[in-house]
Amino acid sequence: MENKRDKFEEYLSEFQPRRPRALPEPAVGRQVWMRRLAAAATIAIALASSLWFVGKKNEWSGKELVARNPAAIPETNSEPQPLSLLPLTQLAFENPAQLDVELARASRRELPDFRGSESTLRVLAKE
Amino acid sequence: MLYDKHGPALVAYACSFVADAAAAEDVVHEVFLRLLSAEIRTPDVPVAYVYRAVRNAALNARRSGQRNVQLDANNSVFERRDGNREAALALQHALAELPEEQREVVVMRVWSGMTLEEVAAATAAPLNTVASRYRYALEKLRERLRPYERTENRARENGK
Repeated sequence: MENKRDKFEEYLSEFQPRRPRALPEPAVGRQVWMRRLAAAATIAIALASSLWFVGKKNEWSGKELVARNPAAIPETNSEPQPLSLLPLTQLAFENPAQLDVELARASRRELPDFRGSESTLRVLAKE
Repeated sequence: MLYDKHGPALVAYACSFVADAAAAEDVVHEVFLRLLSAEIRTPDVPVAYVYRAVRNAALNARRSGQRNVQLDANNSVFERRDGNREAALALQHALAELPEEQREVVVMRVWSGMTLEEVAAATAAPLNTVASRYRYALEKLRERLRPYERTENRARENGK
């Protein structure tokens, strides 16, 4: 029975339906262009949104870091300059007033080191 | 592409509604043009959708007062390599006489090359129902085409 049906199916498949005439080129071309355009738009949107997301993420992580540790804010306008002895000595000879200004400015950024034998705090404590 | 793979089968399918190969071709052509111009949004099952669209377009064409063309051998939608136009025309008649749901299954299975499972999915019918429709349809077609099949078998045997 199955064999009979298979044979008949084979017989039927010998009949070929007429192939319809080709679709006009502009229609096919337009569809291809529409697809290409849609694909390009999708890629552009994906790229833009991923860039936006990365930017936003960095912004968020920066804010989070600041919220957790406010000391983590980088100082941008005033970079601490380490006090070196030689220029200070030179300044003391040449312009004592300016030395006072420099020391006052430095004292706002750095606490005096009280551990050294000649530290200001130790001297004050002795007095 | 859908048009290349299913176009001929769809013409055969449409032909059972409009009874004119040229009109059937026009119907299929029109449906695909509308698909391509994005007038129609293609749903998930495009083959089933296209079959439905072709059926509706063919019925519309028939309703819109297209003249009923008498079938002649030159107007057949089927062709055979051996050029037996009479058998091709007999097949076309036999297909047109089948109930619509049987005709659909046969066309999808034999000329669109779909499996019965695919036909079931496309027609949203249970597999058993589709298998029964197919069996009944083949029996009816075999009955109608028996004289031609016998003649051809005889001719083949004589040729050996």
